[in-house]
Parts: sequence; C-alpha cells; structure tokens
Amino acid sequence: MLLSLPAIVIVAVVTQAPILATLGMSLVKWIVVRPDLGVTFIGLDNYREIFTSWDFYQVVLNTALITVVSLVVCTVLGILFSLMLNRDFPGVNVVRTLIISPFFVMDAVAGIIWRTIILNSSFGWNGYFASLLGTKPFDFFGVHSLLTIVILIAWQWTPFFVLIILAGLQNIPQEVMDSARVDGTGWLRELVSIRIPVIMNHIEVAVLLGLIFVLKVFGIIFVTTRGGPGYSSANLPYYVYKTAFLGWDVGHAAAVAVVTVVITLLAIAALFRWFRRRIGETA
Amino acid sequence: MRDRRTRGLRRRDRVPRRKRRALHRIPGIVVIWLVAILWCFPLWYMLITSFKGEADVLPPSLWIAHPTLGNYAIVLRHEIVRYILDSAVISVSSVFACLAFGVPVTYALVFGRLRHSDNLFFWFLSTTLLPPVAVIVPVFLLFRLSGLLDTLGGMILIYTGVNIPIVIWMTRSFLLDVPQEVLESSDMDGSSRLRSFFNIILPLARQGIISTGLLVFIFVWNEFFFSINLTYVHAATVPVYMASFMTQEGLFWAKLCAISTLVVLPPMVLGWLAQRSLVKGLTIGAVKG
Repeated sequence: MLLSLPAIVIVAVVTQAPILATLGMSLVKWIVVRPDLGVTFIGLDNYREIFTSWDFYQVVLNTALITVVSLVVCTVLGILFSLMLNRDFPGVNVVRTLIISPFFVMDAVAGIIWRTIILNSSFGWNGYFASLLGTKPFDFFGVHSLLTIVILIAWQWTPFFVLIILAGLQNIPQEVMDSARVDGTGWLRELVSIRIPVIMNHIEVAVLLGLIFVLKVFGIIFVTTRGGPGYSSANLPYYVYKTAFLGWDVGHAAAVAVVTVVITLLAIAALFRWFRRRIGETA
Repeated sequence: MRDRRTRGLRRRDRVPRRKRRALHRIPGIVVIWLVAILWCFPLWYMLITSFKGEADVLPPSLWIAHPTLGNYAIVLRHEIVRYILDSAVISVSSVFACLAFGVPVTYALVFGRLRHSDNLFFWFLSTTLLPPVAVIVPVFLLFRLSGLLDTLGGMILIYTGVNIPIVIWMTRSFLLDVPQEVLESSDMDGSSRLRSFFNIILPLARQGIISTGLLVFIFVWNEFFFSINLTYVHAATVPVYMASFMTQEGLFWAKLCAISTLVVLPPMVLGWLAQRSLVKGLTIGAVKG
C-alpha cells in the first residue's frame, strides 16, 4: 500500500542512510575543525587505531559490566517486587504506581538529582550519613563511578521489569494456583516450579528489551560521571560521543560507532539464541 | 503425598486458614510499602527540597522548616519556560507526525495484502535495535550542511524518524485485536479501505493508539542524546537545559529541585495513565498485558 511509503522514506533517511554514511566515514581521516587537512582515505587505519587502544578495551569491558550487572539486578528485583505486588492489599495500586515512577523520569534529571542531593559527598545524604557514622563518605564518583552508573540504571529500569513481569504473574490462571495450593505445594516449590516457568516468556521479553535500551545508555553517564575518572565509567555510546564531539575526529568516531553497532547486534543475537524462542514467532 | 481424607479436611477448614493467611501477609505488605517509598526516595526528597528556601537545603533533612513556593515563582520567570515550550512543541509535533505516518503502516501491515508484510514489520523493528551513536556523526554533518542544526524542524524530523518504528511496534498488537470480520463486513457495504480506516479501525483501536502517542511523547520529552548533540540554544530541549544547569547556576539546589519537579511531572502522569497498555504494546503481544 502507498500508505506506508512516507514512513519508510523517513525512517530510511533518518536511520538507514546515515549508517551507510557512518560506514563510509569510518574509512577516512577527517578532522572537522581542521579543514586544511582535508579528507583522506586511509582504509582500515581507524579500526587498527581502535583495536590497539587500551581505552577501547576498557570501555568495552565497562559496557559489558554495566549491561550484565544491571540486567541481573533488574531481573531479580523485578521478579521479587512483582511477586509482592501480585496480591490484593490496601493501596496496591498506589504502591505499583510509586514503584514504576522512576522509569518515566528523564535521564538528565535522574542523574542530577542522584548526583547532588543524594550522593554528593559533602552536601548530599551520602555526606550526611558519613558524618553521622563518623566515616569518610562513599566515593561514588571516583573509584566507584562504574557502580554508581549501575545503581542508577537499575533504579530506572527495575520499574520497567516490574511492569512486564507483573503482567505475566497476573496472567496465571487462578485454577493453576488453586490446584497447587490444594496439593499443598510449599511457597518456594510453587515459585520455582510453577510461577517462574509460566512467566519465563515475560522475563525473557523484559531482559531482551532491557538489553536493547541499556546498551544505548548515555544521558545518565553524561550528567553524573562524564565517563570518568578517565574512561573508568564510560560505555561505548559515551566513547563515540567523546571522540566525535570533543576530538572532532569523525573518521575515528564513525569507526567506533560501527564497532558499537556490531557489538550491539551480536549481544542481542546471542541473547535471542540463548532464549531460543523468537518473540516474533509467538506474536 | 496426602491422602484424600486430609485433603477433604483442609478443604473444610478453609475459612480459618484464610484468616491465618491474612495475618501472615501483613509483614509482606509492610515490606512492599517500604520498598515503594524508599525506591522513590530521590523523587520525594526532590519534591521536599523544592519547597525549601535555599538557606534550609543544607544539611539534608526531611523536615521543611519554612515551606515556600518561592522557588517555583522564580523558576517560572526564568528562561526554563522557553525550554519547556520548545520541548512541548517538539514533543507534540513529533507525536502527531509519528502517528500520522506510523499508524497507516500498521494498518497496511495488519489488514492489507502486502506480500512481505512480516519482513517490513521486522525491518521497522530492527531499526530500533541500533544505538543512536551509529547515525549521529552523519546526521550532525548533514544537519549542519542543510541548516537544520539547532532548529525545531530538525529535531521534529529526527524524532519522527526514530519513533515511527516504535509506533508500528506498539500499535500492531492493538490493531490485531480488531476482528478481521468487522473490516470485511464494511468492505461488503462498499465503503473504501480508507473510509473504513477512519470510521472503523481508528475508533476501535483508539485506546491503544492514544497510549502509543503518550509513550512517544515520554520518549521525546526525555530524549537526551540527539538533543545534546544537535541543538545549542534555539531548539534546546529541557534535558539539555537540565544538564547545563549545574555548571551555569552553581549550588542552587532548591531551584534545581523545583525545575526538576516541574519537568518530570508531565511524562510521569502520562506514564501512570498509559501503564497498562504499555505492557501490551511493547511486548508485541508476545505476552498478554
């Protein structure tokens, strides 16, 4: 149908064509702020530069750590909170609404609020508790900056996991639970052998979507640690940003972007295979 | 395993057992209430601080000694209003553009006789997997060349392109809910496919389409990466302003909290309204919402 044409064109212009351009640019030496140097074709030199740079490996490791740890935390807490919310009690709707709220808070505000009034070592609650206990405040933005990023991502994304997993729990037919109860299944048995398998589909969807979004995280890092100190809390998107807009070396940045895309797609494909089922097939 | 007699017994004394259960549940309920309140602590404390005078912000305390609306009064006379307006224009325009371009595609995918409709759907889906860094350098150079850099139009264009796939992704499961027969019977009445789209499909899938619009609004309103890279002053959105607030303004935490509260509220309220449909739409109906 002709109806789809405009949408295809816009999406292709905004997302597909630039990727091809990125691919092409990754093969040139081009520093935008130095027009005198011009644009020269250098083949795979940008890639060679990346793969021989220590910073790059640190950033890849950071990205893996951030992604894996925060997704595990989100999954565990998401299941726990959902189990507690999957009941009728006074104010259940209020509690659910409260728990999902951080998901709708923009990265910029989440980062700033945590960084100032909560974690600031002299004026935030971090400093307050430290002086109360007579210890040194926890170093959230130095040695432990990577941990800080993980905490913030878990804070924002656990609500998303709750949304999806809770929907799964509420889908379990009452008869299944009733018959388990009559059989006298213990709480833990009931959880491990009935509830978790039934909601596995939901957990997988949550983890998969979580992976897609967490790999893109940028704002949180930008406003809290700026990837620092050094590159100790930078992930791949932040690394691309830094090479592109602080060094203006667009060829190098494009090459990092290409590597980022490849790593992203490989990670998603690997998880897909691990789950073995494709969401599309059940749709 | 228990024999029949015990099972019968358990069934008979169900009522007292239920009461016992109710008592057992109280600690769990208290725990989840505490979790919910603590999880939102940064947001509570942001709200509390926004009502404090700058002098009362330190040391941290949950008590508001001299409650004031002064921060909001100052903040609303501040340049933030311009950023909020720009953000609103960009978000609302993007939402309408995304729906206008995206929903017809879903309609064609679900009810049309496209031969490769699944491939087209997955092509749209796959574009959402890509990190924005993959496109930012060429988009930046293109925007600079064409004068779209730092303009409202440029931002609307980029957000429309990025979010059309989200619209198609979300609305698919809502349109699939519309029974095929409804459309077939309207075909027999001789109304055109275009007419049935407006008269039948849109009203029936209204709820889902509205929730999709709300989600796109939230995404665009909160979006940071494109905005920080493609705008400076003329089309800068709220997140960009927030990120620069600290470097520009120093330690005015009460005002910072007042601004934060203002800009966080719209997406949060919309999120509360849309939460149910979000699950269904985002999971492509792979799991039931």
